[in-house]
Amino acid sequence: MAEARALIAEQIEYRELLLQMTRRDLLLRYKQTIMGFGWAVFMPLINTIIFSVVFTRVAPIETGLPYPIYAFSGLLAWNFMASSLRFAVVSLTGNANLVTKIYFPREVFPFSAVLVALVDSAIASLVLVALMAWYGVGLSWTVALLPVVVLVHVTLTAALALLLALGNLFYRDVKYLFEIVLSVAMFATSVVYPVDQIGGTLGRILSLNPVTTIIDAYRSVLLRGTLPPAGPFLATAVISALLLVTAWALFHRGELAFAENI
Amino acid sequence: MSQAPVVFDGVWKKFLRGERHDSLRDLVPALVRRALGRAKPAPELSESEFWAVRDVSFEVQRGEALGIIGPNGAGKSTTLKLLNRILKPTRGRCEIKGRVGALIEVAAGFHPDLTGRENIFLQGAILHMKRREVSAKFDQIVEFAGLQEFIETPVKRYSSGMNARLGFSIAAHLEPDVLLIDEVLSVGDMGFQQKCIDRMGDFKKQGATIVFVSHNLQAVAGLCDRALYLHGGVRALGPAREVIEQYVRAVDRPRSTTAGAVEIVRSELLDEHGWPTATAPSGARLILRVTYQAHAAVEDLLLGFLVYRSTDHLEVYDANFGSEELRIASLRKGDEIVVDFHFRAHLTRGQYHLGCHVFDTRTQEYTDRVVPTGILTVEESRTFSGVADLQVAPVIRETAATAGDPSEAALEHAR
Repeated sequence: MAEARALIAEQIEYRELLLQMTRRDLLLRYKQTIMGFGWAVFMPLINTIIFSVVFTRVAPIETGLPYPIYAFSGLLAWNFMASSLRFAVVSLTGNANLVTKIYFPREVFPFSAVLVALVDSAIASLVLVALMAWYGVGLSWTVALLPVVVLVHVTLTAALALLLALGNLFYRDVKYLFEIVLSVAMFATSVVYPVDQIGGTLGRILSLNPVTTIIDAYRSVLLRGTLPPAGPFLATAVISALLLVTAWALFHRGELAFAENI
Repeated sequence: MSQAPVVFDGVWKKFLRGERHDSLRDLVPALVRRALGRAKPAPELSESEFWAVRDVSFEVQRGEALGIIGPNGAGKSTTLKLLNRILKPTRGRCEIKGRVGALIEVAAGFHPDLTGRENIFLQGAILHMKRREVSAKFDQIVEFAGLQEFIETPVKRYSSGMNARLGFSIAAHLEPDVLLIDEVLSVGDMGFQQKCIDRMGDFKKQGATIVFVSHNLQAVAGLCDRALYLHGGVRALGPAREVIEQYVRAVDRPRSTTAGAVEIVRSELLDEHGWPTATAPSGARLILRVTYQAHAAVEDLLLGFLVYRSTDHLEVYDANFGSEELRIASLRKGDEIVVDFHFRAHLTRGQYHLGCHVFDTRTQEYTDRVVPTGILTVEESRTFSGVADLQVAPVIRETAATAGDPSEAALEHAR
């Protein structure tokens, strides 16, 4: 427990570094690309258009929401996680010169990957606001719960970011494995269609996916004006928190071996 | 419990000689073996491992500077990384109290696409400076690096010297309790190097504890109170000058580069009475007695005699003596001659390498060159630093005594 407190104290002490690292990555994207933050909006938008064509014309499905909003909200949440983890997985190996030369808490790397993606998502969410206005989807009081859903989502993402960065440092296979898992996982999650519509045992198993719970919770509080199902959501919150604690402890234990294993 | 800011207590550090299994392909069989209980109990040091640091202990007190010297691969940088918490000791304890500043790879955090200004803030944060602190010192940092004009230029357009100067400048504006320095003096031009050395001296005066790893023994001698001579384990730990002397004598054994027509077969350093010696007071008359042997007939030889300072290889003296001065027009095969080089050691305290060579003017090649052929330690206590003992003798010529006690005025003048 004392160790956990020391870990968090150190993170607070180095918070300026976390902000500077996040700033660095955002600044770099802005400098190196013409579209800059436009890319954050562009990717989910293109996907939304593609899936809208598929799921409203080729194989229409019922989601209880205008499909473009259903897809965009799902893709927005999914992209936050996917791009956090995509940056995080190479965040230690890509900064090998810093890892082997200068001391500071290494969590800064995966955490700043998550923060960068969070900023991107905040920008892309402006499109969601526009879509809601266009389709006349109003807000209800449940939007007050949005920060809670974001918190659970960030917690789960941060935990996975730590694990992936750690894993890839020791075994570079992790990156490739991750790419495959990521592309499959999107269709095992309620991103562009509700997985429970798969039905049967497979549908039941897939609806246990905590990421599905989180994405559906976003839709509940933001678009449907309902509360997310309490049981699964609380379970997801607890699992995320436990996973973060475990991941952080593992990461910290591995930290001193980074320089010689990178 | 020791109160020293830097404590290194019985530290051992093990490294792998080869590659670690880097992919799952190697991990899976290893895990299977372990699960089946077939893995052999791991010996403490397997064949593929070696000790980079073996049982090293030292402490550095507040305001003290410790130099770490030793040949390449002696474990110097590893020691510094252990201190800097980048590596974890295999055994033993290593502790630092207070804020640590590390002048190691000073430009490691730079991103080439960011400007000098942006990189100052980034690197500052990496070195654990507060944003406020960086802002307050920003102008000083830029001025110290001498990059006022280029601060809005992306760092990728900088020369390597500019890069290193900026990196050092940021690190130099930390206010550390403990400063770790690794070979940073090799950056920048001479003027900048001097600035760096002065800056480190300032840190020391302000009470910072310094650990300095360098191959520049002269710089170590100038900055450090004590030195640690490492070669895997501790070879020597004590007053800087003594440890440096020990290191120089251990490392620089005579090396003969080429053995052609004329070979240097023997050389000895003697005092003016002809007794072998290794130390002498400044200004002493000394003799380097060199024996040459001809393996073939040669003419027009030049015999060289040279002296350089051991700690930084500064050339103190290098001269050739031709056949006319020596009255040896030619040598026949099998001839052996002995030459005494008489010289006076007008040198300041320190260690000096003596060397000699034979140059064949017709082939334009050294037939033999032995450096160092001897190491001379000069003892003297007047000078503060420098290399040549100019035997300066201050003499008061005039005292403008207008009033009062003339001796007081004389004193004033002498100052």
